Amino acid sequence: MPSPSVSVESVTKRFSGHTAVNRLSLQVSAGGIFGLLGPNGAGKSTTIRLIMGILEPDEGSVSLFGSAHGSRKLSARIGYLPEERGLYKKMKVLDHLIFLGETKGISRADARRRALAWLERLGIGEWALKKVEDLSKGMQQKVQFAGALLHEPELVILDEPFSGLDPVNAQVMKDIVVEIAASGRTVLFSTHVMEQAERMCDRIAIIARGQTVVSGTVAQVKADFGGRHVALGFSHDKSRAEAILADRSLIARVDDYGASAELQMVDGADPGQLLAALVHAGVGLRRFEVVEPSLHAIFIARVGADAAVAHAGAAA
Amino acid sequence: MKKIIAVIRREFVERVRTRAFLISTILLPVFIVMMAVLPGLMMSGSDRTSRVAVVDASSVGLGQSVSQAMQSEKLGDGSSTNARYSVQVFPATTANLAAVRDGLIASTGFSGKGQKDGWDGVLVLTDDTLASGKLDYYGSNVGSLQSMSKLQRTVSNALAGVRLGKSGVDEALVKRAMAPADMDTTKVSDGKLTGQSGEDSFLIAYFMGFVLYISILLYGQQTMTSVIEEKSSRIMEVLTSSLTPFQMLLGKVLGVGMAGLAQMAIWGGSVFLVSSQRVHLAGIFGMSADAVRSFPIPSMAPGLLVVFLLYFALGFLLYGALYAAIGAMCNTIQETQQYAVFVTMSILLGFFSVFSLIKDPTGSLGVTMSYIPLFAPFTMPVRWSLSSVPPLQLALSLGLMVLALLACVWLAARIYRTGILMYGKKPSWRELWRWIRA
Repeated sequence: MPSPSVSVESVTKRFSGHTAVNRLSLQVSAGGIFGLLGPNGAGKSTTIRLIMGILEPDEGSVSLFGSAHGSRKLSARIGYLPEERGLYKKMKVLDHLIFLGETKGISRADARRRALAWLERLGIGEWALKKVEDLSKGMQQKVQFAGALLHEPELVILDEPFSGLDPVNAQVMKDIVVEIAASGRTVLFSTHVMEQAERMCDRIAIIARGQTVVSGTVAQVKADFGGRHVALGFSHDKSRAEAILADRSLIARVDDYGASAELQMVDGADPGQLLAALVHAGVGLRRFEVVEPSLHAIFIARVGADAAVAHAGAAA
Repeated sequence: MKKIIAVIRREFVERVRTRAFLISTILLPVFIVMMAVLPGLMMSGSDRTSRVAVVDASSVGLGQSVSQAMQSEKLGDGSSTNARYSVQVFPATTANLAAVRDGLIASTGFSGKGQKDGWDGVLVLTDDTLASGKLDYYGSNVGSLQSMSKLQRTVSNALAGVRLGKSGVDEALVKRAMAPADMDTTKVSDGKLTGQSGEDSFLIAYFMGFVLYISILLYGQQTMTSVIEEKSSRIMEVLTSSLTPFQMLLGKVLGVGMAGLAQMAIWGGSVFLVSSQRVHLAGIFGMSADAVRSFPIPSMAPGLLVVFLLYFALGFLLYGALYAAIGAMCNTIQETQQYAVFVTMSILLGFFSVFSLIKDPTGSLGVTMSYIPLFAPFTMPVRWSLSSVPPLQLALSLGLMVLALLACVWLAARIYRTGILMYGKKPSWRELWRWIRA
């Protein structure tokens, strides 16, 4: 079995008083897309910075490709898009990409060729000779994305890659990420948008308060979470459903989105009984489906509960 | 190594490309020349012929002797052919002296305003002049100390001649006796003549100190601001994932330094070109070759040039590393000021020590300062140019500088490593110490 691309062994990182990452462990095996999920302030970026060797762990160890050399030695094999986007504002786009390529150890000529190809592919080819500061934020993000991928790294680490992008550009980036994974390379990205992770990732880890809450393949995580889930879509008279949804002998948890809702049934409760009750009450239903729990539901359930426990622990 | 070169190239190219670089390349020499020439021009009075009316109310024809003496004065350092004064004598008697004088004064001081037949000054000679040396001068240029002392000297000489003549001394003898002393100075180093005059040595020493001072202030500060920029634009995080702090720091200091050196080279090259072609160029502007040659452009001995460049490079890197470390510690330019002031102070100390060294190049102050790495780049080239420095002292001073440079880059890289990702508050001195030890 090949050594995992990224292996984080019970790493702890403290910043003046508060613990950002607490005995956290992760294994990212080679190939596929790994999603690092968590609410804001969960320690996603800190974890990624620890993996990149930008921060040193206080305890525990990080190894990349089975070697403890740290990312700088291996930087030719790793592409990194930090959460804090930054480019030299006064540099021309093409020059900037060539420079980023050079810092990864590829030759100028090579870097130039690849930079032009990437700019073309991202639809900003005509901006190659413009200064970075003349580009819109979205375009700058594309440039940085290209800079992270220019040297065709086998491990791509993206911190919140889709934040701040419009749907069209997010789609372009998503296609690229999927394509990288399809070519047998490894992508690790962090996000707090669950739908995205659910659709793209093979494996995920949900972290909260610096600790791993759940990890594994998406299917595994869903199976482990268990319970029967029902997805509802309302067409009219949603108000009549309120009493039924509040019935704690039938329904354990409601995630209400207004025009739709995701329910977790109480163990042993019958979804048919719920459907009958809703129809009897005259609720207009657009959708009634027994489903796997969504990552979102798992996220809310686990992170919410965990956060509460952690809080109680801190108070005690 | 390839990565350091990439960083150096980026720093260099991005800097040289800016409009600021172009403007400073052109404007700074203009500024320096103005600084050097303007005070000279103000002090030396005008370099054109002054029209002086001599009112002679003496009974012994004093006007004749004085005007002869004045007419033999040349502009410039003797190689020039233009007379310093054009003189006309107006005879007067004691009775009408006031009338003649006031008539002439009425047409004095208009020279700048296009009045062609006006005077620059009126010199009044009486019998009393010969007896007590007392005379009056009314003119537009009385504020120029140099012009006045020149005129006074000329008149004094003429008076002395007349007095000696009256006492029966032969006129030819008087002339020989009054011939001025003309001293040339040449610097000696290691028992050999260097071919530099004393004035040249001074100019070179001053020039070297000034160049180092200006370039460290300009470009050292640039390394600092460029680190701050990288922090505030958040590019640092991408860079730290592929470059070591040492690579970033060294690349930055060298890149900025090379941009500075390129600018110096442009200036140096154009000075060399102009000075080697100056006779030619002067012809184009209608100046006589003699007048141009009289303007001194000192040349640097090869040994001095090597010493200067060595210290320049070391000093530049040392201060660059210090400035970069300060940049890494702070988040804004304002914040840097309270740290940068220490560095600026030592630059100023080094620069001003040049002036006291020029007076006493072999004193203990100079020797001590050339062992202190922060001052050595200023003091050592000056000592080298003004006196002969023992090789052992030179080696020791250079060795100390290299050690200090390495220590400084190491220290700065430690601070850099932790500081470049600190976006929050400014570190305390204790935290700084922790970064260095970490």
